[in-house]
Amino acid sequence: MSAVIDKVETGTSGTPRHQMAEECFTLDAGLPTGPVSVEPYRSPEFFERERERVFKRAWLFAGRIEQLPEHDSYFVKEILICKASVLITRSKEGKVQAFHNVCSHRGNLVVNKPCGRAERHVCRYHNWAYGGKDGALLGIPDQKHFFDVDKKSLGLTPIACDVWEGFIFVNFQKQPEVTLAEFLGPFGTTYAGIPYFNLDETIVIQADFKANWKLIADAFAEPYHVPSLHPATLAPGFAHPEDNRYARPLSARAHGIHRHFSAYGNPHYVPAPTSKVESLVYIQDTGGVLGGDASENAQGVMNHPAINPTKNPNWSADVTWIFPNFNIDYSTGGFWIHEFWPVAYNRTQWTLRIFIPKTASIRHRLQLEHYASRWAEVVLEDVTNCERIQLGLESGAKDHMVLQDAEMLIRHNLWVLDKWMKADKVADALK
Amino acid sequence: MSAVTDKATSLPAGFEALEAFVPYWVHETNDKRREARSTAQMEDIQAFYDTVVPMAEQGIAYLEQYELGKMPADAERLFKLLLAMNHAAIAVEMHGAPRAFDSTWPSAVRITQGPWPHGGRI
Ligand code: FES
Ligand SMILES: [Fe+2]
Repeated sequence: MSAVIDKVETGTSGTPRHQMAEECFTLDAGLPTGPVSVEPYRSPEFFERERERVFKRAWLFAGRIEQLPEHDSYFVKEILICKASVLITRSKEGKVQAFHNVCSHRGNLVVNKPCGRAERHVCRYHNWAYGGKDGALLGIPDQKHFFDVDKKSLGLTPIACDVWEGFIFVNFQKQPEVTLAEFLGPFGTTYAGIPYFNLDETIVIQADFKANWKLIADAFAEPYHVPSLHPATLAPGFAHPEDNRYARPLSARAHGIHRHFSAYGNPHYVPAPTSKVESLVYIQDTGGVLGGDASENAQGVMNHPAINPTKNPNWSADVTWIFPNFNIDYSTGGFWIHEFWPVAYNRTQWTLRIFIPKTASIRHRLQLEHYASRWAEVVLEDVTNCERIQLGLESGAKDHMVLQDAEMLIRHNLWVLDKWMKADKVADALK
Repeated sequence: MSAVTDKATSLPAGFEALEAFVPYWVHETNDKRREARSTAQMEDIQAFYDTVVPMAEQGIAYLEQYELGKMPADAERLFKLLLAMNHAAIAVEMHGAPRAFDSTWPSAVRITQGPWPHGGRI
Protein backbone atom coordinates (compact mmCIF):
# COMPACT_ATOMS: atom_id res chain seq x y z
CA MET A 1 0.00 0.00 0.00
CA SER A 2 1.22 3.41 -0.83
CA ALA A 3 -0.43 6.13 1.09
CA VAL A 4 0.18 6.56 4.76
CA ILE A 5 -1.76 8.04 7.57
CA ASP A 6 0.17 10.23 9.89
CA LYS A 7 0.70 9.21 13.47
CA VAL A 8 -2.12 9.50 15.94
CA GLU A 9 -1.69 12.79 17.69
CA THR A 10 -2.24 12.70 21.38
CA GLY A 11 -3.28 15.62 23.48
CA THR A 12 -1.45 16.61 26.62
CA SER A 13 -3.61 14.19 28.56
CA GLY A 14 -2.51 11.41 26.23
CA THR A 15 -6.03 10.68 24.98
CA PRO A 16 -6.29 9.58 21.36
CA ARG A 17 -7.95 11.98 18.94
CA HIS A 18 -10.59 9.49 18.00
CA GLN A 19 -12.76 7.91 20.66
CA MET A 20 -14.67 4.86 19.58
CA ALA A 21 -18.38 5.48 19.77
CA GLU A 22 -19.88 3.87 22.83
CA GLU A 23 -23.49 3.94 21.74
CA CYS A 24 -25.26 1.17 19.88
CA PHE A 25 -26.61 2.57 16.61
CA THR A 26 -28.93 -0.37 16.04
CA LEU A 27 -30.66 -0.26 19.41
CA ASP A 28 -30.82 3.55 19.35
CA ALA A 29 -32.67 3.31 16.04
CA GLY A 30 -35.20 0.97 17.68
CA LEU A 31 -34.22 -1.96 15.49
CA PRO A 32 -34.06 -5.67 16.35
CA THR A 33 -30.66 -7.35 16.28
CA GLY A 34 -31.30 -10.83 14.85
CA PRO A 35 -30.28 -12.27 11.47
CA VAL A 36 -32.23 -10.96 8.45
CA SER A 37 -33.70 -12.80 5.46
CA VAL A 38 -31.95 -12.59 2.09
CA GLU A 39 -35.16 -13.27 0.11
CA PRO A 40 -35.49 -9.55 -0.78
CA TYR A 41 -32.25 -9.86 -2.74
CA ARG A 42 -32.94 -12.99 -4.75
CA SER A 43 -36.65 -13.50 -5.16
CA PRO A 44 -38.24 -12.51 -8.53
CA GLU A 45 -41.67 -12.46 -6.82
CA PHE A 46 -40.41 -10.12 -4.14
CA PHE A 47 -39.02 -7.89 -6.88
CA GLU A 48 -42.38 -7.63 -8.66
CA ARG A 49 -44.09 -6.68 -5.40
CA GLU A 50 -41.31 -4.19 -4.67
CA ARG A 51 -42.07 -2.51 -8.00
CA GLU A 52 -45.76 -2.11 -7.09
CA ARG A 53 -45.54 -1.47 -3.36
CA VAL A 54 -42.36 0.63 -3.19
CA PHE A 55 -41.37 2.22 -6.49
CA LYS A 56 -44.89 2.99 -7.68
CA ARG A 57 -45.82 4.56 -4.32
CA ALA A 58 -42.65 6.28 -3.05
CA TRP A 59 -41.30 9.67 -4.07
CA LEU A 60 -38.35 8.98 -6.37
CA PHE A 61 -35.40 11.22 -7.19
CA ALA A 62 -35.49 12.32 -10.82
CA GLY A 63 -32.95 15.14 -11.17
CA ARG A 64 -31.57 18.46 -9.98
CA ILE A 65 -32.94 21.91 -10.74
CA GLU A 66 -29.62 22.86 -12.42
CA GLN A 67 -30.77 20.54 -15.23
CA LEU A 68 -33.51 23.12 -15.89
CA PRO A 69 -31.52 26.36 -16.07
CA GLU A 70 -34.20 28.47 -17.83
CA HIS A 71 -37.90 28.47 -18.50
CA ASP A 72 -38.74 25.94 -21.22
CA SER A 73 -35.69 23.86 -20.28
CA TYR A 74 -36.46 20.16 -20.15
CA PHE A 75 -34.87 16.78 -19.59
CA VAL A 76 -36.10 13.23 -19.98
CA LYS A 77 -35.65 10.72 -17.19
CA GLU A 78 -36.18 7.05 -17.96
CA ILE A 79 -37.44 5.21 -14.88
CA LEU A 80 -37.32 1.59 -15.97
CA ILE A 81 -38.67 0.10 -12.76
CA CYS A 82 -41.92 2.02 -13.34
CA LYS A 83 -41.66 1.47 -17.11
CA ALA A 84 -41.85 5.21 -17.55
CA SER A 85 -40.23 7.85 -19.70
CA VAL A 86 -40.63 11.07 -17.74
CA LEU A 87 -40.46 14.54 -19.31
CA ILE A 88 -39.48 17.15 -16.73
CA THR A 89 -39.89 20.80 -17.66
CA ARG A 90 -39.68 24.27 -16.22
CA SER A 91 -42.65 26.41 -17.20
CA LYS A 92 -42.65 30.12 -18.08
CA GLU A 93 -43.78 30.74 -14.49
CA GLY A 94 -40.76 28.80 -13.24
CA LYS A 95 -42.75 25.78 -12.09
CA VAL A 96 -41.07 22.37 -12.34
CA GLN A 97 -43.49 19.87 -13.83
CA ALA A 98 -43.32 16.22 -14.84
CA PHE A 99 -45.29 14.37 -17.52
CA HIS A 100 -45.41 10.97 -19.07
CA ASN A 101 -43.43 11.47 -22.28
CA VAL A 102 -46.21 9.75 -24.21
CA CYS A 103 -48.28 11.10 -27.08
CA SER A 104 -52.07 11.26 -26.68
CA HIS A 105 -52.57 10.24 -30.30
CA ARG A 106 -51.17 6.73 -30.54
CA GLY A 107 -48.74 6.49 -27.67
CA ASN A 108 -45.40 7.33 -29.25
CA LEU A 109 -42.63 8.77 -27.07
CA VAL A 110 -42.71 12.50 -27.76
CA VAL A 111 -39.26 13.81 -26.79
CA ASN A 112 -36.28 11.76 -27.85
CA LYS A 113 -33.43 14.01 -26.78
CA PRO A 114 -32.05 13.69 -23.24
CA CYS A 115 -32.33 17.42 -22.55
CA GLY A 116 -32.70 20.83 -24.14
CA ARG A 117 -34.90 23.89 -24.33
CA ALA A 118 -38.13 24.10 -26.30
CA GLU A 119 -41.44 25.93 -26.11
CA ARG A 120 -43.24 23.13 -27.91
CA HIS A 121 -42.64 19.39 -27.95
CA VAL A 122 -43.69 17.81 -31.23
CA CYS A 123 -44.35 14.09 -31.58
CA ARG A 124 -42.62 13.03 -34.78
CA TYR A 125 -45.14 10.37 -35.75
CA HIS A 126 -47.90 12.79 -36.86
CA ASN A 127 -46.64 16.13 -35.51
CA TRP A 128 -49.01 16.55 -32.60
CA ALA A 129 -47.59 19.46 -30.59
CA TYR A 130 -47.54 19.95 -26.81
CA GLY A 131 -46.38 22.74 -24.58
CA GLY A 132 -47.40 25.91 -22.86
CA LYS A 133 -48.89 25.48 -19.48
CA ASP A 134 -49.32 22.02 -18.00
CA GLY A 135 -48.30 20.07 -21.09
CA ALA A 136 -51.36 21.14 -23.06
CA LEU A 137 -52.02 19.81 -26.55
CA LEU A 138 -51.43 22.82 -28.81
CA GLY A 139 -52.16 21.47 -32.22
CA ILE A 140 -53.39 18.49 -34.25
CA PRO A 141 -52.52 18.41 -37.96
CA ASP A 142 -55.61 17.73 -40.10
CA GLN A 143 -57.81 18.05 -37.06
CA LYS A 144 -61.05 18.25 -39.04
CA HIS A 145 -60.85 14.57 -39.93
CA PHE A 146 -60.82 13.47 -36.28
CA PHE A 147 -64.10 12.65 -34.53
CA ASP A 148 -65.11 14.97 -31.70
CA VAL A 149 -61.63 15.45 -30.31
CA ASP A 150 -61.48 17.42 -27.12
CA LYS A 151 -58.02 18.99 -27.21
CA LYS A 152 -58.31 20.11 -23.58
CA SER A 153 -58.37 16.52 -22.34
CA LEU A 154 -55.52 15.39 -24.59
CA GLY A 155 -52.53 17.10 -22.98
CA LEU A 156 -49.53 15.16 -21.71
CA THR A 157 -50.40 13.02 -18.70
CA PRO A 158 -48.99 14.72 -15.59
CA ILE A 159 -46.87 12.95 -13.00
CA ALA A 160 -46.77 14.30 -9.45
CA CYS A 161 -43.57 16.28 -9.02
CA ASP A 162 -42.07 18.35 -6.24
CA VAL A 163 -38.72 19.88 -5.34
CA TRP A 164 -36.81 19.70 -2.06
CA GLU A 165 -33.56 21.68 -1.72
CA GLY A 166 -33.14 21.65 -5.49
CA PHE A 167 -33.68 17.88 -5.75
CA ILE A 168 -36.59 16.99 -8.04
CA PHE A 169 -38.77 14.04 -7.01
CA VAL A 170 -41.64 12.35 -8.83
CA ASN A 171 -44.39 10.05 -7.62
CA PHE A 172 -46.25 7.59 -9.86
CA GLN A 173 -49.44 7.45 -7.81
CA LYS A 174 -52.14 9.35 -9.70
CA GLN A 175 -52.96 11.20 -6.49
CA PRO A 176 -49.98 10.67 -4.18
CA GLU A 177 -51.19 9.52 -0.79
CA VAL A 178 -48.50 11.59 0.93
CA THR A 179 -46.72 14.80 -0.04
CA LEU A 180 -42.99 14.92 -0.64
CA ALA A 181 -42.60 16.80 2.67
CA GLU A 182 -44.50 14.04 4.49
CA PHE A 183 -42.48 11.38 2.71
CA LEU A 184 -39.17 13.01 3.66
CA GLY A 185 -40.44 13.55 7.20
CA PRO A 186 -37.76 14.40 9.78
CA PHE A 187 -35.03 13.91 7.19
CA GLY A 188 -36.43 16.77 5.10
CA THR A 189 -36.38 19.20 7.99
CA THR A 190 -33.07 18.10 9.52
CA TYR A 191 -31.20 18.31 6.21
CA ALA A 192 -32.81 21.55 5.00
CA GLY A 193 -30.60 24.57 4.39
CA ILE A 194 -27.31 22.88 3.55
CA PRO A 195 -25.26 25.29 1.39
CA TYR A 196 -24.59 23.24 -1.76
CA PHE A 197 -21.85 24.39 -4.11
CA ASN A 198 -20.20 23.37 -7.39
CA LEU A 199 -23.40 21.87 -8.73
CA ASP A 200 -22.81 22.72 -12.38
CA GLU A 201 -19.82 20.49 -13.16
CA THR A 202 -19.94 16.75 -12.70
CA ILE A 203 -18.03 13.53 -13.08
CA VAL A 204 -20.50 10.75 -13.91
CA ILE A 205 -19.72 7.09 -13.35
CA GLN A 206 -22.26 4.47 -14.38
CA ALA A 207 -22.56 0.72 -14.24
CA ASP A 208 -25.15 -1.73 -15.49
CA PHE A 209 -24.48 -4.97 -13.66
CA LYS A 210 -25.84 -8.28 -12.48
CA ALA A 211 -26.93 -7.82 -8.89
CA ASN A 212 -29.97 -6.75 -6.90
CA TRP A 213 -30.19 -2.96 -6.46
CA LYS A 214 -30.04 -3.25 -2.67
CA LEU A 215 -26.63 -4.91 -2.77
CA ILE A 216 -24.98 -1.81 -4.18
CA ALA A 217 -27.03 0.46 -1.90
CA ASP A 218 -25.84 -1.69 1.01
CA ALA A 219 -22.23 -1.35 -0.14
CA PHE A 220 -22.45 2.42 0.32
CA ALA A 221 -24.33 2.13 3.59
CA GLU A 222 -21.52 0.71 5.70
CA PRO A 223 -17.81 1.49 6.01
CA TYR A 224 -17.02 -1.87 7.69
CA HIS A 225 -15.85 -3.24 4.30
CA VAL A 226 -13.53 -0.32 3.51
CA PRO A 227 -10.31 -1.77 5.01
CA SER A 228 -10.86 -5.16 3.37
CA LEU A 229 -12.47 -4.44 -0.01
CA HIS A 230 -10.82 -1.05 -0.66
CA PRO A 231 -7.39 -1.51 0.94
CA ALA A 232 -5.54 0.84 -1.43
CA THR A 233 -8.23 3.10 -2.85
CA LEU A 234 -10.02 4.14 0.35
CA ALA A 235 -8.63 2.54 3.48
CA PRO A 236 -5.68 4.95 3.94
CA GLY A 237 -8.03 7.90 4.21
CA PHE A 238 -11.02 6.24 5.87
CA ALA A 239 -9.63 3.80 8.40
CA HIS A 240 -6.66 3.74 10.70
CA PRO A 241 -4.59 0.73 11.77
CA GLU A 242 -4.64 1.78 15.44
CA ASP A 243 -7.23 4.48 15.70
CA ASN A 244 -10.16 2.99 13.83
CA ARG A 245 -9.20 -0.30 12.28
CA TYR A 246 -12.67 -1.25 11.05
CA ALA A 247 -13.70 2.25 9.99
CA ARG A 248 -16.50 2.35 12.57
CA PRO A 249 -18.95 5.18 11.80
CA LEU A 250 -18.83 8.29 13.97
CA SER A 251 -22.63 8.24 14.04
CA ALA A 252 -25.43 6.30 12.37
CA ARG A 253 -29.08 7.24 12.78
CA ALA A 254 -32.52 6.71 11.37
CA HIS A 255 -34.47 9.79 10.24
CA GLY A 256 -37.98 8.42 9.85
CA ILE A 257 -37.77 6.05 6.87
CA HIS A 258 -34.43 7.54 5.78
CA ARG A 259 -31.01 7.29 7.41
CA HIS A 260 -27.41 8.47 7.57
CA PHE A 261 -23.99 7.49 8.78
CA SER A 262 -20.97 9.70 9.34
CA ALA A 263 -17.71 8.25 8.09
CA TYR A 264 -14.43 8.43 9.91
CA GLY A 265 -11.56 10.08 8.11
CA ASN A 266 -8.12 11.29 8.82
CA PRO A 267 -8.23 15.05 8.25
CA HIS A 268 -4.43 15.13 8.21
CA TYR A 269 -4.10 12.49 5.52
CA VAL A 270 -1.28 13.21 3.11
CA PRO A 271 -0.01 11.04 0.25
CA ALA A 272 2.99 8.86 1.01
CA PRO A 273 6.33 10.16 -0.31
CA THR A 274 6.45 7.16 -2.65
CA SER A 275 3.09 8.19 -4.15
CA LYS A 276 4.72 10.70 -6.45
CA VAL A 277 1.78 11.37 -8.73
CA GLU A 278 -0.74 11.64 -5.94
CA SER A 279 1.60 14.13 -4.22
CA LEU A 280 2.12 16.04 -7.44
CA VAL A 281 -1.55 16.62 -8.09
CA TYR A 282 -2.73 16.71 -4.52
CA ILE A 283 -3.44 20.23 -3.39
CA GLN A 284 -4.93 20.85 0.02
CA ASP A 285 -7.22 23.61 -1.16
CA THR A 286 -8.90 21.42 -3.72
CA GLY A 287 -9.99 18.98 -1.07
CA GLY A 288 -9.02 15.64 0.32
CA VAL A 289 -9.05 12.08 -0.94
CA LEU A 290 -12.69 12.35 -1.89
CA GLY A 291 -12.96 16.08 -2.00
CA GLY A 292 -12.98 18.60 -4.74
CA ASP A 293 -13.23 22.11 -3.41
CA ALA A 294 -11.93 24.89 -1.24
CA SER A 295 -12.36 24.57 2.48
CA GLU A 296 -14.31 27.82 2.69
CA ASN A 297 -17.27 26.25 0.90
CA ALA A 298 -16.88 23.03 2.81
CA GLN A 299 -16.88 24.91 6.11
CA GLY A 300 -20.47 26.03 5.55
CA VAL A 301 -21.50 22.42 5.06
CA MET A 302 -19.56 21.19 8.07
CA ASN A 303 -21.14 23.84 10.29
CA HIS A 304 -24.65 22.63 9.49
CA PRO A 305 -26.07 20.76 12.50
CA ALA A 306 -27.20 17.76 10.40
CA ILE A 307 -23.72 17.15 9.01
CA ASN A 308 -21.41 15.10 11.20
CA PRO A 309 -23.92 15.60 14.02
CA THR A 310 -21.45 14.70 16.77
CA LYS A 311 -19.01 17.23 15.22
CA ASN A 312 -16.23 14.70 15.50
CA PRO A 313 -12.96 16.25 14.23
CA ASN A 314 -12.02 13.03 12.44
CA TRP A 315 -14.90 13.29 10.01
CA SER A 316 -14.66 12.65 6.29
CA ALA A 317 -18.15 12.30 4.83
CA ASP A 318 -21.83 11.78 5.60
CA VAL A 319 -23.75 9.20 3.63
CA THR A 320 -27.48 9.85 3.58
CA TRP A 321 -29.80 7.23 2.16
CA ILE A 322 -33.18 8.52 1.13
CA PHE A 323 -35.57 5.59 0.83
CA PRO A 324 -35.74 3.73 -1.42
CA ASN A 325 -32.84 4.21 -3.85
CA PHE A 326 -31.15 7.59 -3.52
CA ASN A 327 -28.06 8.81 -1.65
CA ILE A 328 -26.88 12.36 -1.10
CA ASP A 329 -23.37 12.36 0.32
CA TYR A 330 -21.55 15.28 1.88
CA SER A 331 -17.78 15.40 2.29
CA THR A 332 -15.03 17.76 3.37
CA GLY A 333 -14.65 18.77 -0.26
CA GLY A 334 -17.99 18.43 -1.99
CA PHE A 335 -21.06 16.34 -2.78
CA TRP A 336 -21.98 13.29 -4.72
CA ILE A 337 -25.24 11.46 -5.29
CA HIS A 338 -26.05 7.85 -6.07
CA GLU A 339 -29.09 6.50 -7.89
CA PHE A 340 -29.56 2.75 -7.57
CA TRP A 341 -32.14 1.81 -10.20
CA PRO A 342 -33.55 -1.71 -10.23
CA VAL A 343 -33.94 -3.32 -13.64
CA ALA A 344 -34.61 -6.91 -12.60
CA TYR A 345 -34.29 -8.79 -9.32
CA ASN A 346 -30.67 -9.46 -10.32
CA ARG A 347 -29.82 -6.43 -12.44
CA THR A 348 -29.15 -2.81 -11.51
CA GLN A 349 -28.30 0.43 -13.25
CA TRP A 350 -26.30 2.66 -10.99
CA THR A 351 -25.39 6.29 -11.59
CA LEU A 352 -22.89 8.14 -9.43
CA ARG A 353 -22.76 11.88 -10.02
CA ILE A 354 -19.85 13.68 -8.36
CA PHE A 355 -20.09 17.46 -8.23
CA ILE A 356 -16.76 19.15 -8.89
CA PRO A 357 -15.45 22.70 -9.22
CA LYS A 358 -14.78 24.17 -12.66
CA THR A 359 -11.28 23.29 -13.83
CA ALA A 360 -9.06 26.18 -12.75
CA SER A 361 -5.58 25.21 -13.95
CA ILE A 362 -3.50 22.45 -15.53
CA ARG A 363 -2.61 21.03 -12.14
CA HIS A 364 -6.19 21.21 -10.97
CA ARG A 365 -7.28 19.30 -14.07
CA LEU A 366 -4.69 16.61 -13.30
CA GLN A 367 -6.04 16.39 -9.75
CA LEU A 368 -9.59 15.97 -11.06
CA GLU A 369 -8.40 13.15 -13.33
CA HIS A 370 -6.81 11.44 -10.35
CA TYR A 371 -10.01 11.96 -8.36
CA ALA A 372 -12.19 10.47 -11.13
CA SER A 373 -9.79 7.56 -11.58
CA ARG A 374 -9.75 6.74 -7.90
CA TRP A 375 -13.55 6.87 -7.78
CA ALA A 376 -13.89 4.59 -10.81
CA GLU A 377 -11.57 2.12 -9.13
CA VAL A 378 -13.63 2.17 -5.92
CA VAL A 379 -16.75 1.61 -8.00
CA LEU A 380 -15.09 -1.28 -9.83
CA GLU A 381 -14.25 -2.92 -6.52
CA ASP A 382 -17.85 -2.59 -5.32
CA VAL A 383 -19.54 -3.67 -8.55
CA THR A 384 -17.34 -6.74 -8.95
CA ASN A 385 -18.12 -7.66 -5.37
CA CYS A 386 -21.90 -7.15 -5.71
CA GLU A 387 -22.05 -9.54 -8.66
CA ARG A 388 -20.31 -12.16 -6.53
CA ILE A 389 -22.72 -11.65 -3.63
CA GLN A 390 -25.67 -12.09 -6.00
CA LEU A 391 -24.25 -15.46 -7.07
CA GLY A 392 -23.70 -16.42 -3.47
CA LEU A 393 -27.23 -15.53 -2.41
CA GLU A 394 -28.88 -17.16 -5.42
CA SER A 395 -27.05 -20.42 -4.69
CA GLY A 396 -29.48 -20.89 -1.82
CA ALA A 397 -26.66 -21.77 0.56
CA LYS A 398 -27.76 -19.12 3.04
CA ASP A 399 -31.21 -17.95 4.01
CA HIS A 400 -30.04 -15.19 6.32
CA MET A 401 -27.32 -12.64 6.72
CA VAL A 402 -25.84 -11.48 9.99
CA LEU A 403 -25.43 -7.75 10.47
CA GLN A 404 -23.19 -5.93 12.92
CA ASP A 405 -23.88 -2.55 14.52
CA ALA A 406 -21.97 -0.60 11.84
CA GLU A 407 -24.32 -2.15 9.26
CA MET A 408 -27.33 -0.55 10.92
CA LEU A 409 -28.41 1.29 7.75
CA ILE A 410 -28.86 -1.99 5.88
CA ARG A 411 -30.99 -3.37 8.68
CA HIS A 412 -33.02 -0.17 8.79
CA ASN A 413 -33.62 -0.29 5.05
CA LEU A 414 -34.87 -3.87 5.18
CA TRP A 415 -37.09 -3.00 8.12
CA VAL A 416 -38.60 0.01 6.30
CA LEU A 417 -38.91 -2.01 3.10
CA ASP A 418 -40.86 -4.68 4.96
CA LYS A 419 -43.30 -2.03 6.18
CA TRP A 420 -43.84 -0.74 2.63
CA MET A 421 -44.42 -4.27 1.38
CA LYS A 422 -47.05 -4.91 4.07
CA ALA A 423 -48.79 -1.56 4.51
CA ASP A 424 -51.85 -0.98 2.33
CA LYS A 425 -51.71 2.73 3.12
CA VAL A 426 -48.55 4.72 2.49
CA ALA A 427 -49.17 6.68 5.67
CA ASP A 428 -48.83 3.42 7.61
CA ALA A 429 -45.55 2.67 5.86
CA LEU A 430 -44.17 5.98 7.13
CA LYS A 431 -44.84 5.25 10.78
CA MET B 1 10.35 26.56 -28.49
CA SER B 2 11.83 25.15 -31.61
CA ALA B 3 11.91 23.32 -34.24
CA VAL B 4 11.06 20.55 -36.48
CA THR B 5 8.32 18.76 -34.62
CA ASP B 6 5.56 17.31 -36.68
CA LYS B 7 2.53 18.82 -34.97
CA ALA B 8 0.28 16.08 -36.20
CA THR B 9 2.11 13.36 -34.36
CA SER B 10 4.63 14.75 -31.95
CA LEU B 11 5.16 16.32 -28.59
CA PRO B 12 6.67 19.76 -27.97
CA ALA B 13 10.46 20.00 -28.08
CA GLY B 14 12.05 18.84 -24.89
CA PHE B 15 9.61 15.99 -24.38
CA GLU B 16 11.03 13.56 -26.93
CA ALA B 17 11.57 10.94 -24.23
CA LEU B 18 7.78 10.55 -24.02
CA GLU B 19 7.23 10.10 -27.75
CA ALA B 20 7.20 6.30 -27.55
CA PHE B 21 4.23 6.40 -25.17
CA VAL B 22 1.99 8.56 -27.35
CA PRO B 23 0.38 5.77 -29.41
CA TYR B 24 -0.77 3.76 -26.42
CA TRP B 25 -1.48 6.40 -23.77
CA VAL B 26 -2.95 9.42 -25.56
CA HIS B 27 -6.76 9.27 -25.55
CA GLU B 28 -9.67 11.66 -25.84
CA THR B 29 -11.58 10.67 -22.70
CA ASN B 30 -11.12 9.85 -19.07
CA ASP B 31 -12.73 6.45 -19.62
CA LYS B 32 -10.41 5.53 -22.51
CA ARG B 33 -7.34 6.35 -20.43
CA ARG B 34 -8.72 4.17 -17.67
CA GLU B 35 -9.31 1.36 -20.11
CA ALA B 36 -5.76 1.67 -21.47
CA ARG B 37 -4.32 1.27 -17.98
CA SER B 38 -6.73 -1.49 -16.99
CA THR B 39 -5.79 -3.66 -19.95
CA ALA B 40 -2.03 -2.96 -20.01
CA GLN B 41 0.74 -5.16 -18.67
CA MET B 42 2.19 -3.97 -15.38
CA GLU B 43 5.70 -3.65 -16.82
CA ASP B 44 4.41 -1.35 -19.56
CA ILE B 45 2.53 0.78 -17.03
CA GLN B 46 5.66 0.96 -14.90
CA ALA B 47 7.83 1.97 -17.87
CA PHE B 48 5.42 4.79 -18.74
CA TYR B 49 5.21 5.87 -15.09
CA ASP B 50 8.98 5.85 -14.63
CA THR B 51 9.48 8.03 -17.69
CA VAL B 52 6.62 10.49 -17.31
CA VAL B 53 6.75 11.22 -13.58
CA PRO B 54 10.23 12.88 -13.58
CA MET B 55 9.09 15.11 -16.48
CA ALA B 56 5.69 16.01 -15.03
CA GLU B 57 6.60 19.34 -13.37
CA GLN B 58 8.36 20.44 -16.53
CA GLY B 59 5.27 19.41 -18.51
CA ILE B 60 2.90 21.31 -16.24
CA ALA B 61 5.09 24.43 -16.50
CA TYR B 62 5.13 24.15 -20.29
CA LEU B 63 1.36 23.71 -20.55
CA GLU B 64 0.63 26.62 -18.22
CA GLN B 65 1.50 29.06 -21.03
CA TYR B 66 -1.77 28.04 -22.74
CA GLU B 67 -5.39 28.57 -21.91
CA LEU B 68 -7.27 25.43 -20.96
CA GLY B 69 -9.05 23.91 -23.91
CA LYS B 70 -7.07 26.05 -26.39
CA MET B 71 -3.72 24.42 -27.02
CA PRO B 72 -1.79 23.54 -30.15
CA ALA B 73 -1.96 19.85 -31.02
CA ASP B 74 1.49 18.96 -29.69
CA ALA B 75 0.82 20.59 -26.31
CA GLU B 76 -2.58 18.95 -26.08
CA ARG B 77 -0.95 15.58 -26.67
CA LEU B 78 1.45 16.25 -23.83
CA PHE B 79 -1.50 17.25 -21.63
CA LYS B 80 -3.27 13.97 -22.40
CA LEU B 81 -0.12 12.04 -21.52
CA LEU B 82 -0.03 13.80 -18.14
CA LEU B 83 -3.70 12.94 -17.66
CA ALA B 84 -2.88 9.30 -18.42
CA MET B 85 -0.10 9.50 -15.83
CA ASN B 86 -2.81 9.63 -13.12
CA HIS B 87 -4.17 6.32 -14.30
CA ALA B 88 -0.72 4.76 -14.34
CA ALA B 89 -0.41 5.98 -10.76
CA ILE B 90 -3.53 4.10 -9.71
CA ALA B 91 -1.77 0.91 -10.82
CA VAL B 92 1.71 1.74 -9.51
CA GLU B 93 0.94 3.67 -6.33
CA MET B 94 -2.24 1.92 -5.19
CA HIS B 95 -2.61 -1.61 -6.44
CA GLY B 96 0.84 -2.72 -7.57
CA ALA B 97 -1.20 -4.26 -10.39
CA PRO B 98 -3.01 -2.88 -13.45
CA ARG B 99 -6.33 -2.76 -11.59
CA ALA B 100 -8.06 -3.60 -8.35
CA PHE B 101 -7.38 -7.01 -6.85
CA ASP B 102 -9.92 -9.62 -8.02
CA SER B 103 -11.79 -7.15 -10.22
CA THR B 104 -13.37 -8.35 -13.43
CA TRP B 105 -12.62 -7.04 -16.91
CA PRO B 106 -14.26 -6.13 -19.23
CA SER B 107 -16.13 -4.20 -16.64
CA ALA B 108 -19.65 -2.83 -16.38
CA VAL B 109 -18.22 0.39 -14.95
CA ARG B 110 -17.88 3.43 -17.20
CA ILE B 111 -16.80 7.00 -16.58
CA THR B 112 -19.56 8.41 -18.77
CA GLN B 113 -18.61 12.02 -18.10
CA GLY B 114 -15.15 13.20 -17.15
CA PRO B 115 -13.87 16.61 -16.05
CA TRP B 116 -13.40 19.33 -18.66
CA PRO B 117 -11.34 19.45 -20.85
CA HIS B 118 -10.57 16.03 -22.36
CA GLY B 119 -12.81 14.18 -19.93
CA GLY B 120 -15.34 13.26 -22.57
CA ARG B 121 -18.99 12.25 -22.49
CA ILE B 122 -20.39 8.89 -23.43
S1 FES C 1 -48.44 9.13 -32.09
FE1 FES C 1 -47.83 11.11 -31.66
S2 FES C 1 -48.62 12.24 -33.31
FE2 FES C 1 -49.32 10.25 -33.72
FE1 LIG D 1 -17.38 0.00 -1.19
